[in-house]
Amino acid sequence: MKRENEMHTTIKHGLLALVLATAVASCSDSKQYETSYCSLVDISGTYAAEKPNVVNTVKAGIVPQMIPGDSLFFVMIDSNSYSEDNLVTKLTLDYRPTKANSQKLEVARKLDAFGKGKARSNLTDISGALMLCADYLKATKSGTKVMIVFSDMNEELPKGVVRKFTEDEFDGIDIVAMNIIKLNKDSINPEVYRKRLDQWHQRTTKSGARSWNTLIDATKIPEYLQQVKS
Amino acid sequence: MNSLYFLPDMPGVSIAVWIVASMLFLFLAKEPVHKMIQAFSDATAGGLRKAAEWMKHAAHAMREKDRKVLLESGVARIQGEIQQEFSKIDMANTKALAGYPKLQFKLADRISQLESDYDDCGQITPEAPGWSEVIESIGRAQSPSNDRIIEKMLSEMHKSAVEGEKKALSEFRDATSKRHKILSSMSPLWKRVDKVAKEINGKVDKVMENSKNIEKYMKRYEKISSAEPESIDMLSSKVTKLFIISAIVIAVGLVGAFINFNLIALPMSELVPAGVRVAGMQVSEVSALVIVSLELVMGIFLFEAIGVTNTFPQISNMTSGKRKIILYGCLLGLLFLSTVEASLAVLREDLAEAKTALDISLSGGTAAFAENINSHITLIGQALLGFVLPWILAVIAIPLEMFIEASQHAFARIYTILITLLCYLATAIAYLIEGLFKILMHLFDIYIIIPVQIANLFTGKMGNKSVSAT
Repeated sequence: MKRENEMHTTIKHGLLALVLATAVASCSDSKQYETSYCSLVDISGTYAAEKPNVVNTVKAGIVPQMIPGDSLFFVMIDSNSYSEDNLVTKLTLDYRPTKANSQKLEVARKLDAFGKGKARSNLTDISGALMLCADYLKATKSGTKVMIVFSDMNEELPKGVVRKFTEDEFDGIDIVAMNIIKLNKDSINPEVYRKRLDQWHQRTTKSGARSWNTLIDATKIPEYLQQVKS
Repeated sequence: MNSLYFLPDMPGVSIAVWIVASMLFLFLAKEPVHKMIQAFSDATAGGLRKAAEWMKHAAHAMREKDRKVLLESGVARIQGEIQQEFSKIDMANTKALAGYPKLQFKLADRISQLESDYDDCGQITPEAPGWSEVIESIGRAQSPSNDRIIEKMLSEMHKSAVEGEKKALSEFRDATSKRHKILSSMSPLWKRVDKVAKEINGKVDKVMENSKNIEKYMKRYEKISSAEPESIDMLSSKVTKLFIISAIVIAVGLVGAFINFNLIALPMSELVPAGVRVAGMQVSEVSALVIVSLELVMGIFLFEAIGVTNTFPQISNMTSGKRKIILYGCLLGLLFLSTVEASLAVLREDLAEAKTALDISLSGGTAAFAENINSHITLIGQALLGFVLPWILAVIAIPLEMFIEASQHAFARIYTILITLLCYLATAIAYLIEGLFKILMHLFDIYIIIPVQIANLFTGKMGNKSVSAT
């Protein structure tokens, strides 16, 4: 009789724990609040000289905006960008603020080293870099995915290299082109520059990109990121 | 549209035909149309009137219920106050009357002392011997025989009588001086007796004063129990005032809780690092919220154990020993939580400084600026805030109880006001709908006025004919 009572009590406690666990589980949020950033840096032609500036922009504009749980991928655009070798550094911030701070310092050091490096390329495979970034960003399963492209947006693919975006290539990704340096032909005819940017706009949005933007002022990055996150 | 014209070439004629046809049709259907309009009016305006009536009843029922609750709670409160006053009086009387036997004993002692002194004074003192005449007569007496022996005897007698008189006088003086001494020592005794009597008088006055307080409370009790509209209004005004004040205090307390939460939310992420979110909040934020809530709960139990609030009858019915255990438990808990908060506040400051330094370093500057802004005042301030805020939050338990008590009346009043407003609104809409349907009926009558008048002409002729026939 006593054992039976004990068993009943255990069952009651078990059921209570189950109900509580279910309640807590139902309360837990399935929404993804993390943000993943992928910065693409052109190292071809005249844009290679912009490397230190780009590094500073990323360090001062993007890294401080990152909160625990966020990820950053830093990819360089060269002649054949769809390759793991193009990933300069990657980082996912720890949920402890102190650890996250030291991670940020570490990545800043790596970016500085990259900025001072002499890596250059002759041709510009922007599409390959975008595809590589899209792969990395999708793998994070973050709620917000942002690509920040630092390039003149003038693509020059090597012979035999094929770059074709699928329909959902940039699904849920916000793309922003920054610090777009105008080429000589752009200065001669701005229509060429505008048409080029419009083509990128069409290509990315047709492939599922959530938005396409261009930013001139680096100080507007925090504002843009807030807008994208909301 | 053209398909509706009988004569497509003459739309005017077609329309006229339609109008005449519709007039005739509506004239014939006058009664059912009137009934239909009336039915619509009854269904809508009548329904609204019924709803308004129901709302009026509901408001009245709620007002009555609220009145009863107010009265009950008012009576209960005044009963509590009377009970409290009784216990106060009981304590005061016990204190006052506890010294009464002592005072009485003192008084009796003094009185018996006075009596004994009085008795001592009243003792028959050796009277002054009335020998003078005897002595004089003895002195004057001469032996008729001039007997020397008798003369000597008489002189001896005179001498001893004089000596005896002297002795007696001396004794009389001694006794009188003793009585005077006793009488003079009685004066402070009288003063002491007077003082004791005054003390007794003071205590009796106090008891009388306490009784007057009870009378005052009893009058209030009678006034409330009589359930007069003035007493209900007075109770309502008191409860409303209590509700507003407690709501303001709680609002201020909630702002404090918000500051407290923000103070510990960031450093909590260092202690509880997790990516999971609950209802959009990080686990660290939820933990901070739990800590703040725990402080509030501790405060509720603390004031319950002290006896300031009376939310949980189980606690107020406990023995004082058990209540003390809860009290010390809560005090220790609050102390622990405030210490934790103080240390978290210090950690928060460290994290903020580190972040500032990092941001400066990332933007290409040096940490010199961060060092400049490093101040102990901020650190001490945050630590103090972290330590003090839990205690302040704990005090919210008092207005919280007041708020819960008063909210019933406040919500009942709000409900009554809202439902009364709805009632008036429904009545007004019902009037409007009735008016609209009446206008519709008049418009209908105007539309069929021609057939009606023609019919009236005929019925008039028929009527005249029938009248002339008769």
